Amino acid sequence: MASKDGPTHKLSRRSFLKLVGGAGALGATLGMAGCGETAPSDRAAGAQGWMPSQYNVPAGWPVQVRGRVAIAPDNPSITRDSEKCILCGQCVEVCKNVQSVFDNYELPFKEEIICIHCGQCTHWCPSGAITEVDETDKVLRAIDDPDKFVVVQMAPSTRVGLGEEFGFPVGRNVERLQYAALYELGFDAVFDTNFSADLTIMEEGSELVRRVLGVNEHDGHENNTLPQFTSCCPGWVKFVEYYYPDLIEHLSSAKSPQQMTGPLYKTYYAEINGIDPRKIFSVSIMPCTAKKFEAARPEMNSASRLKGDPDISPDVDVVLTVRELARLIKRRGINFNDLTEVDCDKIMGEYTGAGAIFGATGGVMEAAVRSAYYLITGEQPPPGLWELTNVRGLDGVKEAAVNIPGAGEVKVCVVSGLANARAVMDRVRAGDRSYAFIEVMACPSGCQYGGGQPRSSSPPSDEVRTERTAALYQIDREAKLRNSHDNPAIIALYDNYLEEPGSELAEFLLHTSYTSRADKLTVKRIQEPTLI
Amino acid sequence: MANELTAGKTFGALVDIPRCIGCESCSVACKLYNGLEWEAERKYLTPEDRAVEPNKGLWPEDWTSITQYNPEKDGARTIRFVKNQCFHCDDPACVSACFSKAFQKMPEGPVIYDQSLCVGCRYCMLACPFDIIKYEWGKAIPGCRKCQMCAPRVAQGEAPACVSVCPTGALFYGEKDQVLAEAKRRIAENGYIDHVFGEREAGGTSWFYISDVPFAAMRFRTDVTTKPLPSYTKSYMAATPVVGIGWAAVLAGLYIYNNKGKDHLD
Repeated sequence: MASKDGPTHKLSRRSFLKLVGGAGALGATLGMAGCGETAPSDRAAGAQGWMPSQYNVPAGWPVQVRGRVAIAPDNPSITRDSEKCILCGQCVEVCKNVQSVFDNYELPFKEEIICIHCGQCTHWCPSGAITEVDETDKVLRAIDDPDKFVVVQMAPSTRVGLGEEFGFPVGRNVERLQYAALYELGFDAVFDTNFSADLTIMEEGSELVRRVLGVNEHDGHENNTLPQFTSCCPGWVKFVEYYYPDLIEHLSSAKSPQQMTGPLYKTYYAEINGIDPRKIFSVSIMPCTAKKFEAARPEMNSASRLKGDPDISPDVDVVLTVRELARLIKRRGINFNDLTEVDCDKIMGEYTGAGAIFGATGGVMEAAVRSAYYLITGEQPPPGLWELTNVRGLDGVKEAAVNIPGAGEVKVCVVSGLANARAVMDRVRAGDRSYAFIEVMACPSGCQYGGGQPRSSSPPSDEVRTERTAALYQIDREAKLRNSHDNPAIIALYDNYLEEPGSELAEFLLHTSYTSRADKLTVKRIQEPTLI
Repeated sequence: MANELTAGKTFGALVDIPRCIGCESCSVACKLYNGLEWEAERKYLTPEDRAVEPNKGLWPEDWTSITQYNPEKDGARTIRFVKNQCFHCDDPACVSACFSKAFQKMPEGPVIYDQSLCVGCRYCMLACPFDIIKYEWGKAIPGCRKCQMCAPRVAQGEAPACVSVCPTGALFYGEKDQVLAEAKRRIAENGYIDHVFGEREAGGTSWFYISDVPFAAMRFRTDVTTKPLPSYTKSYMAATPVVGIGWAAVLAGLYIYNNKGKDHLD
């Protein structure tokens, strides 16, 4: 305010400079902080990471194979560590193109994530993100429990895989070291699933003979539907239940080897040795993740149902993959390479060459043909049937014709890999009845490269497959007995307990039935083929 | 920064809920691209676990998540998976609430956050109608965290990381009007519920959801307004300068009036 004496309150030079300087400093600060600018995209948080597509120019990345398969948290077989996942799409590749499961359904899902548990994705996963569900703790707890009598069986192909985990060359047969390791781990009895495979041949082969000859002597379970499909592979069985429920009656009612001896440990073996079946804890070592699913199927408690005792646990309590067995051996500090070779328990461990080759594609077929010949003709198969080379090898679909007196020419087909199976199944569905017997294994080249075998190459290689397969046929070639029906332990089992293949008791313990899973998914609508 | 592919265009994404198989490729891609940590205590949460979390599985290090619901359809229990992330509203409440401009809406669509501008007031978190923004309570210098819609990728004309890895086509990305048209096409083709969630919610967003079961059965916020949230405050907040200057003028007038004719004491 001006007064008569002139301006008395002038802005001093000092204050003026302070004001201007302060405003300038504020402006500069705000400017430096970025206020008032439009933030460009590269100022946004995040975005400092890495994507697999950045390996390539965007257009070079396989656009049809990307992301990953869905794995339900309650999947009994496989699990995934997402932190290790690099989204390379290899699980989608194998699930969709090798196994024809992924994307062979309409979305949305109905009530479950579709999976056949084959575990091939565990082999294809390059970063080890997908693995089997680890159940080694359950086994260790059972072994350490003095009240439990823990028995174990080991599948045909595990012996040509396990050594790879301990530095042996690919395909080395470490059977007797593996027996020793299992005893060393504390199992009370060690059995061989090769024995179970021989038993499977007796039941499945007899069923085949009855179907081929058109004899329908048993009620309910038996039918004369041909071709008969093998039922050893739980991935394949679930695949049929999902995608070909109309062909379920083609599946052999015989259980898989694992599930045949599971109840026998808790009945036959328990009775002979005077063991309380409620104390028996049955473990199996499998090259397979789907076996975990199979063992958990609700109907797989035959021993409990036979005895009418709900306290008897399921026929197979825990399934371990070969990788888990290796982990178990390492966890217990056992030096596998320094073990002394031993034999297993012969009462359910004696086996023939026919049982040994179950682990390779075509092996079940070859073993079945040998015994079918015997069951039809009453004579031993000619040596030519011991080398049924047409059904050997890594081809996805193989066929052979065998002349059996009394049955004429029997045509058989051997398939591995479910995309290959689809082609054959579509023919059967369309009415093709040229085959009498079709063997299907979900995993390409059979169990020896099953989803639970050691990851000796990634992605799976035919070199490994060839080595392991050769080792299995080597066992057969060197075996004293090469026909399942000649196995003395099998003969004793029938003489002392089961009477004969397909007897009432055998039907109850060794056979099963299948459920259509057609209501669990909508099969992909495909265009009608113009020609059939 | 926008290039010739993206200049002047606005992008959006579609989540086709029935096509989602719950593989969680999207959330892994988000972690990979944005360099987000895997936290031990949350790593093994399942989509069902996340569905019952108050935040639906969104944490400072989890910008997108998959939740699983089991709604009934045609009398049977089904499984449906929902992808959660920032909706990237057209007129975002967080941007409006942020006085330091740490939140900004890019013309291409993403709502992005620049921590160097953030003062940590967390008004954005209160403003967000979908409860998306998470604060790093455990850090010495905390920031707000949420999906950035992979802004650098979007600016270059690429899809966000999550969309780029979806194996089933449940996620679809493109120019916003194309995405909206695709959403309506899919609704008509598959007999979905005739509602594109996000088309009008919160005044319109960049992420759209379509479904064959009611959104309310999957914890969608169905009571959210269809007006842009800033519009609620805009009318009276716009009066702020007028009120401020006017009030100053009134006070100045009173001062002059009171001191009229008085000598200065000085």
